[in-house]
Amino acid sequence: MVHQLSFARFACKNLLRRRLRTLLTLCGIGMAIGAFVTLVGFSRSFEREWQRLYSSSGIDIAVVDKNFMNTSVNESLIDKLRAVPAVAQAHPMIFNIMDITPEVNALIFGWHQDSFEFDSLTFNSGGRFHDGKAEIIVGEVLARNLNKKVGDTVELQGSSFTIAGIFHGGTALVAGALIMPIDQLQQLSSLQGKVSGFHVRLRPAPAGESPQHYMKRAQAQIEAALPGLNAQAAADRASNNQFVDLAHAVAWGTSCIALLMGILGIANTMAMSVFERTREIGILRAIGWKTWRVMMLIQIEASVLGLVGGILGIGIGVGALHLLATLPQTASVVSSSFSWIHLVEALVISVISGLIAGAYPAWRGSHLSPVEALHYD
Amino acid sequence: MTSPQLEVRNLRKSYDGGRIEALRGVSLSIEAGEFIAISGASGSGKSTLLQLLGGLDVPTSGEVLFENAALGTAIHLDEYRAHRVGFIFQAFYLLPTLRAIENVQVPMLVVTGNANHRVERAKALLHELGLEHRLYQYPNELSAGERQRVAIARALANQPSILLADEPTGNLDSVNSARIMEILTGIQKTHGMTLIIVTHENDIANAAPRHIRIRDGRIEP
Repeated sequence: MVHQLSFARFACKNLLRRRLRTLLTLCGIGMAIGAFVTLVGFSRSFEREWQRLYSSSGIDIAVVDKNFMNTSVNESLIDKLRAVPAVAQAHPMIFNIMDITPEVNALIFGWHQDSFEFDSLTFNSGGRFHDGKAEIIVGEVLARNLNKKVGDTVELQGSSFTIAGIFHGGTALVAGALIMPIDQLQQLSSLQGKVSGFHVRLRPAPAGESPQHYMKRAQAQIEAALPGLNAQAAADRASNNQFVDLAHAVAWGTSCIALLMGILGIANTMAMSVFERTREIGILRAIGWKTWRVMMLIQIEASVLGLVGGILGIGIGVGALHLLATLPQTASVVSSSFSWIHLVEALVISVISGLIAGAYPAWRGSHLSPVEALHYD
Repeated sequence: MTSPQLEVRNLRKSYDGGRIEALRGVSLSIEAGEFIAISGASGSGKSTLLQLLGGLDVPTSGEVLFENAALGTAIHLDEYRAHRVGFIFQAFYLLPTLRAIENVQVPMLVVTGNANHRVERAKALLHELGLEHRLYQYPNELSAGERQRVAIARALANQPSILLADEPTGNLDSVNSARIMEILTGIQKTHGMTLIIVTHENDIANAAPRHIRIRDGRIEP
């Protein structure tokens, strides 16, 4: 039996002295990191789904009002847009979120029956709806959550709509969405003649012109033809729309509060630990440990709490993301996939949280006078 | 004529803004390899003197010189405590979460990076002190005498040239007291170390070749 003592082993032994307190602290930081992984993972998954939605549907430019949530753009502007030389195809669209049942809400898109965006859908059963008719098509995830099939009806704000088709969507957003004729959605929202914006496919870039330059030129042409509206590249629109911004803000805001609670938990544990070990710290100082060595020992303890709590939190967060991806209420906006960078980020944040939390107790402990510490009761 | 290993010049130490004077101008010289007992009544200032000799505290005025270098200025106190002196306390002060062999390694953590060397040195010291069968026990599994022997091994870990013991037998029965004193004097002779013991026990004080009595913060003539 060999017992080589190292700083890390010494630190771990100190943490194991009060196992229940250490466990509770780990639970605290684990919950905080779990909240971070879940919420930030959720918001990033949401953004990723938006990006996939735009890229899979072949949209080059989204023409929208400054306020993304508004359905306030005049549909009649479509003729001016189609007259722009760079525009190959343009269709109006409405975007909304609606409660389908008390448990299930969904993104709702309003399209024309001949919209090029149908190209990105594959029908599992049935087919497109017809403009002017009370018909809808639903994504397979939504159909499953509603337990509906082609020919069934869905009640939307007091009106009955027949399911004309069930489609497979390339993204969780689309797979959990409902799409209906734009005129029916306008009627349902009492916003006749108004749309959320237009989706545009551009003509191929002329020979010799870079795609980036062509995109900028097309955006300028559209904005000149439709003053007051923004022509945004689809990829930019996916990352910078208000839903994604809001999701990021809520995720980071809530995570910061959770992390603060976790930091306070570790700080409390470390402060208690240093307080209880005052005499032992005095012994270390008496046998020649310098202040920075004592600080290092306490900081190792705090960072071990952060590291183990972070690993625990990642487990909690990944589990929660998988759960959210299966719940009817959230399945339409989140996928269970996560990025390893996000998990590494969570672990780094957790360890840094430990170091921040341990800083003051470490400073206090290391600056104790050896004599006072040895005589401490 | 060789210079003293430790020299104390007009050492004063007061507490509570000067209201309590623990030492009132103590001066003495200690040669390398001496065995000295410091005795005195409770509150006489003997432990304070030991703490200042060991660099655990700083004097209010006066100075302590180690090999002609002033503690706290020419020699950093942490370095002095880590390399030059070993402490033995009445209450042992072992770390409860560490086994005997780990407790002995604690001072070496800040001196040598070689983990194998630390383990071998700790084993050798515990073996020398008759604790080869108690290497892996925690302090609460050891008798008082065994704990003090582990504490002695810890004090010797970094091969100091001075051993400072504050009432090392204060918590021991007579049998264990005798054993500890036998060990300390043996170490002092075999290693040629300077041994300074603070004690209130006359037997121990009288056994030392040099006996310093402290009274009211001053050395008695």
